[in-house]
Amino acid sequence: MLSHWRQYLAISPFFLIFGVFSFFPVFYSLYLAFQRWDGLGTVQFVGLQQFRFLWDDPVFWLSIRNTLVIWVLSTVPTLFGALVLATLLHSVRRFKGFYRIALYVPNVTSIVAVSIFFGAVFSNNFGLVNAILGTVGISPVPWLSNPWLIKLVIALLMTWMWTGYNMIIYLAGLQAIPAQIYEAARLDGAGPIRTFFQITMPIMRPIILFTVIISTINGLQSFSEPQVLFGSNAANPNLGGPGQAGLTTLLYFYQSAFVNNDYGYGAAIVWAFFVLIMVLVVVNWRLVQRGRKS
Amino acid sequence: MDLSRRGFLQAAALTAAASGLTVACGGGSGSAGSKNGKNLTLWYWGGALSDKVVAEARTHFSGQVKLTAASIGGDFKQKLTTTLAAGASVPDITGIKGEDMASFLPNAGRFLDLNDLGFKKIASQYLDWKTKLAQTEDGKQIGFPIDIGPTALFYRADLFDKAGLPTDPDKVAARAGTWEEYFALGTELREKVPGTYLVNNIGSVFTMAVGQGTERFIDKDNHFIGDQGHIRKAWTTAVRPYTLGLDAKINDNTWNAAVGKTLSTELGAAWHALDIEQAAPKTKGKWRVCAMPGGPANQGGSYLALPKQCRNPEEAFKIISWILSPENDARGFTDAAIFPAAPAAYAMPAMTGGDPFFGGQKVIDVFGPAAKAIPAAYEAPADAAVMAPFMTELSSIEAKGKKPEDAWKDAVAQARQIARRQGVN
Repeated sequence: MLSHWRQYLAISPFFLIFGVFSFFPVFYSLYLAFQRWDGLGTVQFVGLQQFRFLWDDPVFWLSIRNTLVIWVLSTVPTLFGALVLATLLHSVRRFKGFYRIALYVPNVTSIVAVSIFFGAVFSNNFGLVNAILGTVGISPVPWLSNPWLIKLVIALLMTWMWTGYNMIIYLAGLQAIPAQIYEAARLDGAGPIRTFFQITMPIMRPIILFTVIISTINGLQSFSEPQVLFGSNAANPNLGGPGQAGLTTLLYFYQSAFVNNDYGYGAAIVWAFFVLIMVLVVVNWRLVQRGRKS
Repeated sequence: MDLSRRGFLQAAALTAAASGLTVACGGGSGSAGSKNGKNLTLWYWGGALSDKVVAEARTHFSGQVKLTAASIGGDFKQKLTTTLAAGASVPDITGIKGEDMASFLPNAGRFLDLNDLGFKKIASQYLDWKTKLAQTEDGKQIGFPIDIGPTALFYRADLFDKAGLPTDPDKVAARAGTWEEYFALGTELREKVPGTYLVNNIGSVFTMAVGQGTERFIDKDNHFIGDQGHIRKAWTTAVRPYTLGLDAKINDNTWNAAVGKTLSTELGAAWHALDIEQAAPKTKGKWRVCAMPGGPANQGGSYLALPKQCRNPEEAFKIISWILSPENDARGFTDAAIFPAAPAAYAMPAMTGGDPFFGGQKVIDVFGPAAKAIPAAYEAPADAAVMAPFMTELSSIEAKGKKPEDAWKDAVAQARQIARRQGVN
């Protein structure tokens, strides 16, 4: 081991930076979850009090529900849409590069810019969508004040951003499937729909599971979308939209720690959320195992 | 606000790391640097001070010190807290937003007592209630008042005229002396000019009504009083325009689209004039300002403070007292709509001119008296956090049609819990 010190030295910057900026803060936040701290004053040990507060806090549970609803509403159409688009793109003959770029662009645009754009398009009073609905005689829909529609708009935004990303992954998977298999299926008289469900889907299974896990991680961390859509200022601290319908867990964490200067409580929120994500990962893993056995 | 999820998480990690390191080193702050340094840094945010005055201060004091001013963007309080916690690269002079002052007061030890540097002698030049809000219980002065936000009623004179209502500020103020009279006026306006609303949302009415009182959500003995009569009264006032159908229910970012179209009046601080002007430039000359129903309140307004690490307190204090002298404070109003905290400035030509956006009205006639009449109320460190659930529940009434009585109960329960979490009993 010591004879390889040069190699270890060469890779050490990553581990040093990781240790200082990632590893240490993670465990420091665990320490903070048992304290009360306003960011500047003395750190006061309070035991499990923060978690007691968390258990009794209806807003925390509301934020968990919001996060899960937004996650389901965005992940299902994202992955389904990505698979359909990838299949279509796989069979397209001309302008392949153009379609790929066009569909991937939403993922690289600034999330803040997209959120501002969505906020303007779905605005209750002066939005483009309501203006179009108005021309066909439909009265304005309260997109950004109805609790369900708020979640729908956020989910739509996330779908718009992440479909292209998943599509690229699927496309790579599709291109790896040998053409002979499809030829054989065609000779056996299978139509396009049957081919899709009997051949494409089973072969793509590991890739789909990969994207499900990535989407779980991304979807549960929704923060910027509601943060920008319901922007805060001095007179109106960001509460996650009317009735807190767009308050995600990470946004609640941000508010508690950085707006209310309650770092201990913020740490408790993220650690409780971490436990929840772990549970979901286990569920995912179980699904993978079951898929392997059958 | 450009805050990506990843960027945010990194910033959070950095914050935790920085503070952790300080703790590990035993909080070695304030030890570095001599106390008569030649380089001073000033942190403020865009619009906090007149950039022209700051630039002049740099040349004015160039003989003694080199002043470097930095306009800090993003979440100012967060950046200041992080830097103070880390104890390194702390600015010598920093701005503190009025709404953040209460949360800095428990850590007054991080700042120098301005009274030691001579603020006591000039304190009478500044509004007493504003000065007191940056003072600890034992009389330490950590903030030097920059500006205040006296509130008033902005209204569309042309729409009032159309409805056959008075348009002259004094007459409007007389007709809308109390909240109830104001709502009655709004109902009349609504009948004559359909499609217009009186208030943008009821949260703004609540903010104003609370600000008109001498008590807020937590009293000086650190007791939660958010369930008591004065807050209940502000709540009832806020719900009135909703039940009367005068509420535009704008809780998203479309306020600026509504101004000049469906909103006939606006409740806001002096600096709000600039927001209206920028959002609805076409309505120039149609707006007027008059005294707010039920009396003035304060919204916003900032301070300058000297962190403990300040490398040259004497010179730094000279600089801030020069920048915020009544003459220069008055210029802040002309340059950046910063309403001075020094009443002497209100009589200066920079402030007594007519404002073309308000049809040539001398707005100082409204804001000046309002500034002096603002009631002083104790603001606890947790005040803003405890107020938040009330605002949320008011928005629930608007968004979901939640029953006001249920909303009140939920708001009080939630506020009480936040108070307990923050150590209020």
